[in-house]
Amino acid sequence: MLKFILKKLLMMIPMLLVISIIVFFGLQATGIDPINFMVSPEVLSANADNVEALRESLGLNDPLIVQYFRWLGNLLHGDFGYAFDGTSIASTLAVRMPYTFELAGYSLILSAVIGIGIGIISAIRQNGIIDYVGRVLAVLGQAVPQFLVGIILIQIFSIKLGWFPAANRVSPGATNQFLDAFQHLFLPVTTLTIGMVAVLMRYARNTMLDVLNSDYIKTARSKGIPEWKVYLKHGFRNAMKPVLVILMFRIPTLIGGSVVVESVFSYPGIGMTMTNAIVANDYNVVMVTTLIIAATMLICSFMVDVLNAIMDPRVRLGE
Amino acid sequence: MDTKEIILDVKNLNTTFVSDRKEVRIVKNVSFQVKRGTALAVVGESGCGKSVTMNSIMRFLGKNAKIEADSIQYNALRDGKVTEYHLEQIKNPNGPEMRALRGPDMSMVFQDPMSSLNPVYKVGDQVAEGLIQHTGMKKKEAREKVLEMFRKLGIPDPEERIDCYPHQFSGGMKQRVVIAIAMICNPELIICDEPTTALDVTIQAQIMELLKDLQVKEGKSIVLITHNMGLVAEMADEVCVMYMGRVVEFGSLEDVFDRTSHPYTKALLRSVPVLGLADGQKLETIPGSTPNPANLKPGCEFADRCPECTAACREKDIPTFEISPGHRVRCLKYKNFPEVE
Repeated sequence: MLKFILKKLLMMIPMLLVISIIVFFGLQATGIDPINFMVSPEVLSANADNVEALRESLGLNDPLIVQYFRWLGNLLHGDFGYAFDGTSIASTLAVRMPYTFELAGYSLILSAVIGIGIGIISAIRQNGIIDYVGRVLAVLGQAVPQFLVGIILIQIFSIKLGWFPAANRVSPGATNQFLDAFQHLFLPVTTLTIGMVAVLMRYARNTMLDVLNSDYIKTARSKGIPEWKVYLKHGFRNAMKPVLVILMFRIPTLIGGSVVVESVFSYPGIGMTMTNAIVANDYNVVMVTTLIIAATMLICSFMVDVLNAIMDPRVRLGE
Repeated sequence: MDTKEIILDVKNLNTTFVSDRKEVRIVKNVSFQVKRGTALAVVGESGCGKSVTMNSIMRFLGKNAKIEADSIQYNALRDGKVTEYHLEQIKNPNGPEMRALRGPDMSMVFQDPMSSLNPVYKVGDQVAEGLIQHTGMKKKEAREKVLEMFRKLGIPDPEERIDCYPHQFSGGMKQRVVIAIAMICNPELIICDEPTTALDVTIQAQIMELLKDLQVKEGKSIVLITHNMGLVAEMADEVCVMYMGRVVEFGSLEDVFDRTSHPYTKALLRSVPVLGLADGQKLETIPGSTPNPANLKPGCEFADRCPECTAACREKDIPTFEISPGHRVRCLKYKNFPEVE
């Protein structure tokens, strides 16, 4: 098992390198010249020599490959570089990453508990009331786009009822930290959760139904064990494997892809940072945020492998 | 016959499936008895309702199955005292009454060992589960019992194999594990649903020998569902021949094999392949195919394929006649014999 984990971990290093190469050279290929953001056009045309000196001192005239390794070396030393407005990317991320993790974490846990729970109950009580209602809601939840859910929620809860703030993560001068966080998180978390619950519910229901039709469930019943044991011990564990894969692969989408939700709620997370950077052509920030999202993807896929190995002995032995 | 002698007495079992809001009768008025300490073989071609009959008794069918019977009586013999269970009166198929019987009283060996074991648990734990459930034994104690059972069933290296997962076992060994699961609580009645169909021939013989041994040495009662006539001849004391959800002939092995009476049984026995078939000699088959159970014509279900069919066969339901004590045939050829229910 330890060997398995180590092997999977080591395999992540070349993958990250490849991703960093794609990100770096890909963005260089867009032909954005950072000088344009530092110096105004009038100054630029008047002081061509000085600008050239600046270019030289910043290393922008070096071959791309040299620039790449310098960037990579800096990254490895924890130096993420600067945004075009001069702020340190590392310090921006230090504030915004936790916000995104909060958002992603809560919606992940909530949707896992609700989605898998309802899915499993729907499978056990197939064609029951919960199953019917759940199926209709699942279609709705998947069909309505997230930004619309967000806007509707803002309409109802912020504008009409005034229960929750419509934007930001902290209110200035809030005394009760916990309450403040809860109020700001409630609507975006709900928005993210609704979409995910729909997906997970359908998926958990279908895999559980498959498992409940398999022969070993009959074997389990033939032992005379109570039904809850048949469902939880023999059914649930086998059904959870594919569901967990889906769940884990939602994490990178949540971290990088809550872009829409973060924009709708003006929530200052990584998604917002990235969208703003893309709009502003701030490729330093785009590179780092892209890398972070790619790294979470890799970490999640690593965790999927490990979880699979823990849950299914057939994977473990194929080391 | 008294309840000491008969372990399972089924009278007029009917199983109906609801599909597309239409009711399809799969098992019709099936009656049979299993004598204590003997083996009953249930034979018939695919789809004749053998498995459904047994699954109806064990109550393993889904919610779309409706089970009705005059009586499904299971007689447990404990310390010389007989306890009667009326399974047809038990409402919840997975409720406590049914569960209490599954394992310590009646158990089942399934057809396909490849899929009958849960892939994510160790085989030893899967065998021990039933034992722990019914006896409240500690894990360690149960492990000893499982080891003992593995040794009895001829699983080599039991100390090591007990901690293996199903995918590390061959088909024959997996079936031994399935048998161990069925046997671990020492049940009186073991229903084997085509236990060797998924295995290759050499392993088949081993598994059947194992089952026969259990029946003879430990006095177990076995119901063997099969379509392998060779196995029937070797294993069975009594034979129940089914066709299209009905018992067409029931009797002792000698009755059915030597004094074969129903045209279907005769045809079935003729179509058993034998080694050394002469060149150019074709294996006999039963002409035609089984009718669709959803739209049956009145009269005998076998009429269309029967060489001895008469006009009367197609008129109404055929009663069962007892042509000698314990030998019952559902065919109008024997209408001079006394009718039984």
